[in-house]
Amino acid sequence: MGDVLTSLILFWGLMLLTYFLMQNGLSIFNDVTKSMSHFMLEKALGPGIDLVEGRDGSASKAWFIQGMLWLIAASTLAFEGLWLKQDPTALHSLSAWGYDPTASSLIYASTYAALYGGIGMLLIGSSLHIMPRLAGTELASERNATLVSFLWTLSVLILVVAAHDSEILGVNIFLIGTGMHALGFIAIVINLLLTISDRQRALPVPGWLIIMGMLADPISTAATIITGSIQTGAGQWLLAHMVGGTFFFATAAGVALYVSSSASGNPLWSRSLGAATLVGALATINPVGDSNGMMAADMLGVTFEQLQPSSQDSIVMAFLMALAIIPIMALAANVMMTLRGGDAFIENSDSAGISELNLGASMLLPLAVASLFVQSDALSAAPELSGMAPTLLLMGIWLVLVPISLGAALHLFPKVTGRNLLSRNRARWAYWMMGGGAFVGLTVSIMSDLIDMSLIEAAVEDSSKLSADVQAVGAILFYGVAVGAIMHSLNAVSGLFRGTRANVDRATSSSITMEEYSLVSPTSVRKILAGGANLDTTVVPVGESEDAGSATEL
Amino acid sequence: MSESGSGAVGEFIQGEEEPSSSWVVLAFGLVTSLTLLVLHGILYPSRDLPVISEILPVFDGVFDSGIWFFILGIMVGVFTIIATMMTEATSE
Repeated sequence: MGDVLTSLILFWGLMLLTYFLMQNGLSIFNDVTKSMSHFMLEKALGPGIDLVEGRDGSASKAWFIQGMLWLIAASTLAFEGLWLKQDPTALHSLSAWGYDPTASSLIYASTYAALYGGIGMLLIGSSLHIMPRLAGTELASERNATLVSFLWTLSVLILVVAAHDSEILGVNIFLIGTGMHALGFIAIVINLLLTISDRQRALPVPGWLIIMGMLADPISTAATIITGSIQTGAGQWLLAHMVGGTFFFATAAGVALYVSSSASGNPLWSRSLGAATLVGALATINPVGDSNGMMAADMLGVTFEQLQPSSQDSIVMAFLMALAIIPIMALAANVMMTLRGGDAFIENSDSAGISELNLGASMLLPLAVASLFVQSDALSAAPELSGMAPTLLLMGIWLVLVPISLGAALHLFPKVTGRNLLSRNRARWAYWMMGGGAFVGLTVSIMSDLIDMSLIEAAVEDSSKLSADVQAVGAILFYGVAVGAIMHSLNAVSGLFRGTRANVDRATSSSITMEEYSLVSPTSVRKILAGGANLDTTVVPVGESEDAGSATEL
Repeated sequence: MSESGSGAVGEFIQGEEEPSSSWVVLAFGLVTSLTLLVLHGILYPSRDLPVISEILPVFDGVFDSGIWFFILGIMVGVFTIIATMMTEATSE
């Protein structure tokens, strides 16, 4: 049996065991474990825990704000990386300060900042708000979750530095960052497990997606370490995609399903599709991700190996990646149909966050299919599409995961902080800057990659300047993402202080809203609503007759 | 004058409205600066500007790529966020 299948079987077994324990508890050890965990989360931290407040929503607020700030750093690093692809010496003056970045090191660092800093923090912040509500209880330790957010930020900062230079003073700082990250992760998982253990009702599908997605991260790591496959290229690739498919995809799926229902006011469209997403996320290999396992190898401090799977591993990987399209399709359909509801209109379309959620769900399937092609190609002996894999990873991050996590955070912001964002108009502008910048900028970057690949394939010695020019345009367009991230952060920070109270409705106006609708002939409700009427519009029947018309008497 | 006198002003007062002619002062200052720069160029054509000509070489080789204009924009945005946080947190 190959490395991949062995690791997967162990992973599935451990996940089933975890699910069984969550449902049935730890028998006589239940009370001891719970009280010990409560103690470890608060009292054991001594005076440190008093540094943060324990008000309802304070944990989510801390994770949201830090997550948004990380998006600025991530988009800046990605922009610089894209720029340096066509102008490698653009930042050479920084070498005087001992900082000598390259395009690949900047994009690698931006991946850590975006995945663990931006997306990870926004997803955890959303989860800390969602899970207690789904369980009908309160978060086990609001103060611990708030405190851990700062530890998490510190760990991401170390990982970003390590992505540039992993050894400082002879110490592999990746391991320090990973250690702090693991500590924060364990605290959050224990916090959520304690919250679920006090649940007053059955946990809905989004709740299971969130908790299983979070638990799968350490379990998949343990599975690859126990089987020893982490030492091989296939095992490293597998771990990177398992973490991507569980912590990032499954958790984002849970958050997206909850928010799509909460934001639109519609019930979740299909529980079966939700369950298919849950099972599929754990049982398949998500194709969205890098075409090698460098992140997994670096974070665990093992030597990076090139992906050279055996034929049996290749078959398993290709088959499970193809199967992953099922949960991906199920999630995209479920989110979009829930947002749409029973009629043709989204009831609360003006709410910040819905546009982002819609964008993420819309881009999910096309990017997953594109990634499937690139990843399947990477399994071959002579990959031909690997040149566009890094840009496709950036698209997966900035067009799927960031919109979903940021959209959820923007929607939950008023519930968490008690205040609305400062300006809906600014949020709308920021959405267009981020979404448009990522879509157009990265599409143009892929065009540049394709030019490079064609030239390499044709063995052209004198490389064309066209590729560099196209890449420069792509980088400049991607700059919109950084501007959008800044606008979102500014909107949220200002909203914390000066946003209108969340329980006060703000006056909204629309150019198509009408107070009266003249009904001249029988028509459908859909057409009346499409004409600009809303639920408060008065429908006025206008009488008609077959009599000949005449002049109106004055 | 005693502190308790009727003419004492106990606190700093700032006008709420900008005087309509205040822009004249600003415009005059700008025009004067530009005029002096031009005059310096005419009177001492071969000499560098004092102070400024000594500071600018420090930045030689730093802003030699277009990327710095974009980074400058991001820095302005980040400092705006920091300034917003500070002013909001310290305002009454």
